[in-house]
Amino acid sequence: MNNDAILITGSGVISAAGASVSETLQSFSRGERNAGPVTLFRTGLDKPAFEVRNIPQTALLEGQRTLSLTLIALDEALKEARLSDCSGFRVGVCMGTTVASQLNDLDFYKSYRETGAAPLTSVDRFLKGNLAEVIARRLGARGPQLTVVNACSSGTDAIGIALSWLKAGLCDIAIAGGADELNHVPYCGFNSLGIMNPGLCAPFDRDRKGLNLGEGAGIVVLETAGAAKKRGASSDVFLLGYGSSSDAYHLTAPSPEGIGLKAAIKAALDEASISASDIAFVNAHGTGTHDNDLVEGTVLSQMFGPELVMLSTKGFTGHTLGAAGGLEAAFTAAGLREGWVPASAGFSIRDEAIPIAPVSKKTEVHGRFALSTSLAFGGNNAALVFGREGKA
Amino acid sequence: MIVAGIGILFAEGCGVDSLDQALQKGWQPPSPVDAPRAAGNKRLAYQVNFDSVPDKSLLKKIRRADKLSKMAVVAASGALADSGITDIAGKRPAIILATAFGAHVTTFGFLDDILNYGDTAVSPTTFSNSVHNAAASYIASSLDIKAATMTVTQFRFSFFAALQLAQAWLDQKRCDYALVGAVDQYGDVLGYVSGEKLAAAPDGKIKPFVLNPTVHVPGEGAAFFLLSREKAGKAYCSIDAVQIGEEGTRAEKADLNIIAADGMLADESRYASWLSSATPTAAYAPLYGTTMTGSAISVAAGALTLQKQMLYASPVLDNPRGLHLLDATKMTDIDSLCCLDCNCYGEKAAVYLGRT
Repeated sequence: MNNDAILITGSGVISAAGASVSETLQSFSRGERNAGPVTLFRTGLDKPAFEVRNIPQTALLEGQRTLSLTLIALDEALKEARLSDCSGFRVGVCMGTTVASQLNDLDFYKSYRETGAAPLTSVDRFLKGNLAEVIARRLGARGPQLTVVNACSSGTDAIGIALSWLKAGLCDIAIAGGADELNHVPYCGFNSLGIMNPGLCAPFDRDRKGLNLGEGAGIVVLETAGAAKKRGASSDVFLLGYGSSSDAYHLTAPSPEGIGLKAAIKAALDEASISASDIAFVNAHGTGTHDNDLVEGTVLSQMFGPELVMLSTKGFTGHTLGAAGGLEAAFTAAGLREGWVPASAGFSIRDEAIPIAPVSKKTEVHGRFALSTSLAFGGNNAALVFGREGKA
Repeated sequence: MIVAGIGILFAEGCGVDSLDQALQKGWQPPSPVDAPRAAGNKRLAYQVNFDSVPDKSLLKKIRRADKLSKMAVVAASGALADSGITDIAGKRPAIILATAFGAHVTTFGFLDDILNYGDTAVSPTTFSNSVHNAAASYIASSLDIKAATMTVTQFRFSFFAALQLAQAWLDQKRCDYALVGAVDQYGDVLGYVSGEKLAAAPDGKIKPFVLNPTVHVPGEGAAFFLLSREKAGKAYCSIDAVQIGEEGTRAEKADLNIIAADGMLADESRYASWLSSATPTAAYAPLYGTTMTGSAISVAAGALTLQKQMLYASPVLDNPRGLHLLDATKMTDIDSLCCLDCNCYGEKAAVYLGRT
């Protein structure tokens, strides 16, 4: 890697698949799919979801589940990066989310509409719950702060923006990723769109029937080579490129030609100064909806060839919305480092309409570069390229 | 970076000419708006009226969008039109939309659905419009911009953070233009919350130089800027620096300060510590109301000041602290100005504009 490379010195994750990177990899390896009925709120719907179970009570902040998940992942990422003291560095924080950015507390609103008054506790939590701001204040970080609310690509975009900041010299170290809780409002919303699976999701499968929602947080610590050297930190995994592009097509459907996705991937590859043939595997967005998987699979096949090693980890985590890009960035970096990717959970029957199929078993990967993609509501697309030091 | 074009939609009208006229005309009272659960069923607020949009064809194109998205699209489209730059879609523009509260009105509408009809019978259209990035997506699709399209939120400093990102992206040539703007909407629930937390202006007048105690009048609007690396379009001014959360002395070097004081904080005294008696200060929130992203409108006023070399008097001049105020509208010859904002932690954000 060249001197401009941005090191990934720490990763932290929490999802239904596990409460740390190592726990998650073990869960992936065993092929566990920890979905079940929704228990976090009362609902008239019966679609399964990937909830995070067994969060220690001490880690749960009342009414701030997204923030609680964030801080758990943050703790792991900082420990791996051995970043306990930000003094002497400009540390930026860029986080993606959907739920944490919306004042959508049903009890608050119900009270207001029925009586014309409501306790402002939930409003205060919302106003003090901007993810980037909370992290920055906890750490005493003095660099730029930003919370990205770009729907399902928020986490990927947040990491990409952090890359821009580091390259622009706005900070030396950046904490970036995404987080979202399983929330009643998007649960009803996604169901209204008719894209929730009544069973378990099956990304890229011929008989896929939609997505399962999940929750979690994924955070990476990024730093310039100079900052890492100064701290005595090192890493063999790097963030090399980012691309983002909209389809300008439709609010809820991807462009059939995948125009924005192609542009985002191309931009990420160009920034990384590599070609498509250098990519060892792709951690795809792969939600399990008909349209997403058809468009994404077609684009990946066109750009990387039908033999590409490709998977979706949403069969293990569900679609975690703003967290997805953060989680999948950490999984992609781990895949490069570990030299294997898990089976694309839920996939069993090839869809002849999609000219590529995901891996159906744990698969060794060889190579130095990998790609993670996100497609979002609103037609946004984002891609990140990761690299690993060493021989191909 | 250069401000090549400006689009604006606020209570006093649509477009840069409307802003110029509002700045010249001075303070206008807010309107009573329906507040079914408030005492008297009315609140004062500065609300956008789409009757002021001269060309309704775009609104027709996005008729299913909510008010927040419509305001954003009108302002973004206005910035492109104002620049005079044609075929912008082919010139790698990025869209960066800043908002503090996003589509909260539509979100509460979706909660109405859940409460009224249950989990299984909610409207997909309402849900789609309630997603934070819907407004930016409507901009991309209605203007056919296939490029990075970002929605960001950092409450009071959302717009500043968006400008900071635009600067980085332009410098790194990730885009050739950046269409950057802010939008926020007034709504009944937000009116209730601000009424509970902040003092309402009894006469409808925000008094930005009183600083403590403050009064507020809720507002809404959108302001977008087409930014370029080099001189382009109308080249209103340059954006020389964006500083967030840092102390600095540059404010003393500007020829004019524009503060965003609007009564959003109960105590806005912090502004006074950033101002120099040698430099005149203006504040324009009384024209557009109290809103987290109102700084974008202040920056538009600053850009107009530099381009026209016209100093616009502050519309409300109550000045118990004896600050050096800009109290008369007149021609000028200035090179720089600074737009300042303050968040609830007393931290500063600043945009420095320069004459082109």
